[in-house]
Parts: sequence; C-alpha cells; structure tokens
Amino acid sequence: MANKFLPGAKFLAVAAGILFISHGHLFLFAEMRQFSFSTSKGLPVKVLQENEMPFINAQLLVFLDGSSQNYDSLLISQLTVMNMFARELSFPSTNLLDSLFRLGNDYQVEQTPEYIKISLNFLPDRLPLFTKVLREIFTYQSFHLKKFNRSKEKYRSFFTRNRDWKKEIAFLLAYQQIIGNFYFGQGLAIQDVINGINLAQLRSFQRKTFRSDNSLLILKGNINPYFALAQIEMDLPAISKSPAKNKKDEISINASRRIFVLNSSVSDSPLVYWFDVAPPVSDADYLPFFIGNFTLFGFPGGRIYQSERSQFLLGGYKVSTEIYSLKNFTVFCNFLRLNYGDLENFLLLVDQERKKFSARAIAKQEYLDALNYYLGREQVETGSFDYGVQQVIDRFQAPGALVFQTQRGPESFREVTFERVVQVMDDLMGYKHKAGVREKGIIVVIGNANLIINNLKTLKTDMVELRLD
Amino acid sequence: MIKACSFCLFLTLLCAPISSQTINVSSFELPNGLKVILSPNNDMQTATVCIYNTNGARNDPADARGISFLYQYLLFDGNENLESYDHILFINKMGGVVSGRVSHDNSVFYEVLPASEINVALWLESERLKSLRLEDRNIDYHKNEIFARISRLGDSSLDFKAQNWITAKIFEGLPYAYPLYGDINRMRSLNNDRIRESYRKFQNLSNIYLIITGKFDINELKAGINKFFQNIPPGKRTPEIVLNTANQHGIYSVKNWLIPGLKSNFIYFGIKSPGKINYNYVSFDFLRYYLTDPRISRLEHMLNKVNNLNIEIESNYTDYFEANALTIQLSSTERSNLERAKYILGQEFSALTKKLIGNAELKAIRSLMEIDLLKSAYDPEERCLRIGEFYHMFGELNFLDMQIKRLRKITSYDVLESAKKYLMKENQVVLNVYGE
Repeated sequence: MANKFLPGAKFLAVAAGILFISHGHLFLFAEMRQFSFSTSKGLPVKVLQENEMPFINAQLLVFLDGSSQNYDSLLISQLTVMNMFARELSFPSTNLLDSLFRLGNDYQVEQTPEYIKISLNFLPDRLPLFTKVLREIFTYQSFHLKKFNRSKEKYRSFFTRNRDWKKEIAFLLAYQQIIGNFYFGQGLAIQDVINGINLAQLRSFQRKTFRSDNSLLILKGNINPYFALAQIEMDLPAISKSPAKNKKDEISINASRRIFVLNSSVSDSPLVYWFDVAPPVSDADYLPFFIGNFTLFGFPGGRIYQSERSQFLLGGYKVSTEIYSLKNFTVFCNFLRLNYGDLENFLLLVDQERKKFSARAIAKQEYLDALNYYLGREQVETGSFDYGVQQVIDRFQAPGALVFQTQRGPESFREVTFERVVQVMDDLMGYKHKAGVREKGIIVVIGNANLIINNLKTLKTDMVELRLD
Repeated sequence: MIKACSFCLFLTLLCAPISSQTINVSSFELPNGLKVILSPNNDMQTATVCIYNTNGARNDPADARGISFLYQYLLFDGNENLESYDHILFINKMGGVVSGRVSHDNSVFYEVLPASEINVALWLESERLKSLRLEDRNIDYHKNEIFARISRLGDSSLDFKAQNWITAKIFEGLPYAYPLYGDINRMRSLNNDRIRESYRKFQNLSNIYLIITGKFDINELKAGINKFFQNIPPGKRTPEIVLNTANQHGIYSVKNWLIPGLKSNFIYFGIKSPGKINYNYVSFDFLRYYLTDPRISRLEHMLNKVNNLNIEIESNYTDYFEANALTIQLSSTERSNLERAKYILGQEFSALTKKLIGNAELKAIRSLMEIDLLKSAYDPEERCLRIGEFYHMFGELNFLDMQIKRLRKITSYDVLESAKKYLMKENQVVLNVYGE
C-alpha cells in the first residue's frame, strides 16, 4: 500500500538503493576524480570527472576473445561492426544510426583483437540521448540483407577508408604470430572467405558479444556521475541469463623473429613495423622495458638514430613508437617509412644494436633520459581530451598491480632502479648470448614485394610473403 | 522501477553541474611592444608556448614570393647559442612536441611540453627571435631542399598539380593564387642578403603575439617572460595588407586534362567561398559540413547510397582569412559514373539554392560544428592557434564565446542565402582529369 503521507518515499528508497548497489567510490586520478559503478545489468561504468572539459567523451568497450579468434571469426566481428556503425551503410537507416545522428554523429569505432571500442563525443545536454544509443547498441536487431551484401562486396574499401589500415593489418599479423594462432597463411581479406559468411553468423555474434555484462563504459567530462548512472540504469535493457562466454586467460606468448612481407601495389616507399612483446602496463617490468625501447629507438638520442647517422650514412630516419596495451602483455610497435635501398641496412642495424645490450648495457645517462622522457610525455598527454581513458582500461583489464598508473612522480619509480632496467632488458630482449635463444621481434614490411625481396639479401630466408591486394 | 528511476533522475538533476562552454583569456604587453596572451587550463599538466606571427606568405614582396616559406625551415636551423635542430632535441628529450608552419595569413611556431618546463620553451623561442642563423650555407641548403621536394611533388603528384591549378583560378588576382613557395625557380635564385634583410621585417616584435595555454603559475610565468623577452628590441608594426576580394569577377571555367595510362578518372570542383573575416563564413561552413564532412556527407549519401555510383569523394578547404576555396574531388574508374555524379552534384547544388535544409540536419550540423569547436578549445595547441587568429582578425581574445554565439544564430535561411551566393556556377571552376 502506498504511503499517502509521503508518496515519494518508495521512490526515494529505490533511488537510494540504486546508489547503494552501485558501490560508488572515488579517488584521485591525476587532476581528475574517478567514480566507479556497476549497474544492475552488469555494465561496469567509470566516470572521469573533469570540470573544464566542455563536452563528454564516452568510450564503450565490448570485449572479444582475441586468443581464440580465427580468420572467419575476425571477419564476422568486423562485418558486424561495419553493418552496425558504418556511415557508408546508413541507407536504409536504423534506430541505432538515427540515435547516433541525434546525439551529434561524432563517433568512431576501432577494433583490437581484445575489444571493439566505440568512442563518441557529444554535448553535455545530450546525455539522455547517449543512454538511448547504449540501449540501441545492446538490443540491435536491424541487420539488413542488402546492406550485408554491400558490406561484403565493399569490405576492402570500407576497411581501408579513413584509417591507418596498414598499421592495423601489421599489428593483427604480429598479434596472431605472438599468440601462436597464425591464420593469415593464404593472404589477407580474401574475397572467397568473406563471401562464405552469412547474416545469421553476424546476428549470433552480436547477440553473444554486445551484452552489458561483457562491456565497459567510460565517460569523461563535466558529468554528475550519479545523474549519469541513473540515466543508464533507466535505459539499459535487461540481460538474458546466460552470461557472456568466459575468456581464456592463459595463452603462451611467442615473439620469436619472423619477417612478413605484404605486397601492396601503391608505389610509396616501404613501411617497416617492428613489434616486440613487453610485460603488461601493470607489471613492474613494463617501465624498464619502455626505457630499453626508448634507448634503442628514441629520437633523437636513441642508439639506432645515432648509429644510422654515423655508421651507415642513411638519411637519419625518425622511428615512431606506438604501444598496444593488451590484457596479458603489451606490444611495442616501432615503425618508419624508408627507402627500399636502406631496408636491409636498417634491419641489420637494429639487430646489431639490440645484441649490443649484452656488451654495452644501458648507460646511466640513457636511463635518466628515458625516465625524463617518460615523465614528460605523461604530462604532455594530459592535454588530450581522452587522457586517462586508456589507463582506466588497463586497470580494468588487470586489477591489482597498479604501480605506475595511479601515482606519478618519484614514488612510482622506486622499483625502476638502473640495475633493474639493465637486468630486465638483458632478460627480455633475449640477447644474453644464451645457447638456443632465438632472436626476437616480429617485422612486417609493407610495400612492393619484389622490390623488398630484391633489397633484403641476407634476410631472405626468414621471410613470409603474403598478398595484401 | 521506471518511475523510481525518473524520480532518482530528478533528484540527481538538481545537483548536476552546469557545463561551462567558455575559456579564460587575458593579455598584457611588454614595454618593447610584445603582445602576450594567456589562456590557462589547470586541469592538465602540460603547457603550450606559441609564437604567432601576423606575417605570412601574403606579406612576401611580389618579386620575392616564397621567402616566408623559407623561414619556416630556417627557424629550426640554429642560432647564436644553439646548433641546427637543437631546438627540437631539447623539447623532444622532455617528451614534448615542436612544430610550426607558415601560411598565407600568418606563421605559427609552438612547443607543447610539460608545464614545469615552460621556461625552456620561452628561452628557445626568445633565442631564435634574437639571433637566427642566416648564413649562406644553411640558406642555400634549404633553398635546394625545398626546390628538390617541390619539383618531385610536381613530377609525381597529379593531385598536387590539380590543387595548384584550382587555387590559381579561384584566387586569380589575389596573393592566395600563388603557392606558399611562390615560383620555385625564382625562390632558388633569391639573393641571400635580401633574405636576411627581409627576416628583420618578418620577425618584427610588433607583429608577434606570444600565446601561452595550459597549466602555469602566473607569477612565475610573468617573471620568465620578462627574463627572456624584455631585452629584445622593439620593432615597427608592418601595416596590414587588405586584399580586395570584392572586385573579383565570375571565375567559371572548365578545363580537361587527358593523361595517358591513368587508371582512375577525376573531377575537381573548386568553389570560391567566403574568408574567415566574412560574416557569411559560418553559414558557408554549415554548407561545407553538410556536403563534405565524412560524419554527415550529403554527397556520399546522394552519389553512393542513393545512386550506387561507387564514387570516391574527397574534399579540401583552404581556411584563409579573406577568401577561401572548397575543392571537392570525385574519382572513379568508370567514366560514365563520374559523368552521372557530376550531373547529380549540379542538381544537388541547385536544390540547395532553392530549398531549406531540414531542421534535423541543421541541428546535427550545428552540434558537430560545436563539438569540433569545443575540441579545439580544449586542445592546448589548437587553442593557441585559434586565439591568435581571432585576435589577429577581430581584435577579440575569446574566440570560443563569439564563435558559439555565431554558430547558434545560424538558421536554415542563412544557409539557403549562403548557397544562393556561393554555389552558383559563376563561383566554380571544374577540372576534368581523364585517362587518355
């Protein structure tokens, strides 16, 4: 029976209940306040409150099981994402695309082997519209045969549009090699395999994967976290009883040397991607590895850049570094574009400098330079509007060890002594001149395969050539 | 449960913070005439130090075009106290970023670095203002480097040549018609003494704004600015060059290029559009977003979704102060599809001059433009650039407030008027590039 004297009492109790159930807690994260919740439908929500940010950046991660993927399942997930989100396939429209349009249409979708990330930016007054978008994502049923056929037909064109698809392909290749699940043997994006996929597979994948209890939502901006949570609670659909499939956590990592050559008809200079496996960011050995990598590839003080200029009289190529943070390990990708004629010299030079770690360990000055760079870079990145989001993802993937992400400054470097760095580099780079230790590092070269092979004389035997076009 | 949630929402709404869409900007002037503009954001640990120079390629003397473009490279080539590229090395070592570029309307050089190291950037910037190395050896090196690079581009890139043709046609009679490097052969033969002499006018302190955004302590920063900049001698302000864009006549022209062995066919539409100082700039920007922004792209919808023509669409916008060129590039291996696309594009332009765009579309474009504007206001380097440009054009410091106000005022009728004015045939140049 309703309370006639205080009609809102029941609502108050429920409201208080929601806030209680949600286990809200806050702690300091750099300059931001972070709130952590879990909704009654199993969706973990992290709110990074930043009062000077005039819009909201939302990132929804839907988790995939990267370690058991094969070529078919990768294509199914990619085609599902295309059919749900690709603007090129927005005709006829769907409820999801309409909601995204109303929200402001500033969104992009990326995919790693471990998750699909949907990033959206919208004005703060559109938060209620955002939660409608969430609902549409989790209840999506609008697969359309005509659109599906078009996505298969135009797969390559859609996949390569508006993104650094060469880097993405190179990373996928390296990832599959690292986890020992190599499935690109016949070539990449082969139309026959794409043609074999049917709409039912997409529907089934969507139903099993796009679930609130298999996702993570991070909101950043000037947000009232309790308001946001209440909105999400109200709009999220109920989840079916069968929980999302448990992922296999145990994988064996193999980063032994392999050189892949991907043939591309575009006549640009070749791209070289050098992948190394490092401990996860939450591991105490991560930072020593970062320092080692910087000592090698850093610009302009790195050993490779210095040797390039003094030893081989190359053009002094600048190497860029990107770090892929995964659940069980991190992948360092050092990449550059260079002339065909310099390819072999460059690869040999990198090998030579890596081997030198045993004879010429990291010098104190190199260690200090790398630490200085790391700290500086961290500070510079706070200027980016999505700063902090990746750290939340890393922490979510590996709860427990939080050495470097929550406290910056001298405290966090207590374990990263000079001696530790020297030891970790010696172990992880695998160049201790131990018998039976294979060289490490997966290399992907993209360009004209004939020219690449003609220019790689001594490294020829290690190569695997794949069709890209 | 839904009622409960609604009530909960109501409760929490009461304490929901109201978002502020403004930025804090202030300015002061040093006794030597250097204008300093500060815009703090204490939510970050980084700062950006930017030298905004109101001189750009349009200020180059007619017989020495490309001279500012040359400075873009010489500015990183050392000075009295620093060797070549030491400037970049210093900032990179601390995890920061150095960049810069010369445009037609201005020149911008900046460092993004940890907030605690802001004095390093002030020192580096003051060093190159005081004593840039302009020796024959390094001037000649950069002249030859630029010559080689531009010649290579001219030989290999069809797009580069096409864009140059379009801008030359659209901006006929204006300095914008020339590429930033002017005439590549003339630039290479410029006298080095002339280059040194012109540099004194280029780096004149009264043409420069020192803009600092991000995190800083105001007292420490002021002390740093005084220490490094107060001894630089004052200069005499170069008078602003006002371009006469009003007298430009109709520019309509069509050109065909037949290129042997070309796999894909191209059509370039160049549309002359208002400059940033023009009141119509924002309403034309609505049209530009509507037609070409990949998040909305009406053209993609019309050509590929509705008519299934399989056309690749790319666009390019000059973003100059006094006049602009929007270039839409359509390409396809099927020439018949391209011809059909040309017809549909013409129909679409014509429809936009007769019919109001829908309210939902207007709202969507506005919100996209607002988000883009807010992103640029948040990003410390973009903020520097926007503040500098806005102050340069309008003498106003807070670009965000004014731009948002302008954006929110635009109606479907303004967009219609803009389409009537700028999407007509007399305002277009068309370049057809076909395989022979």
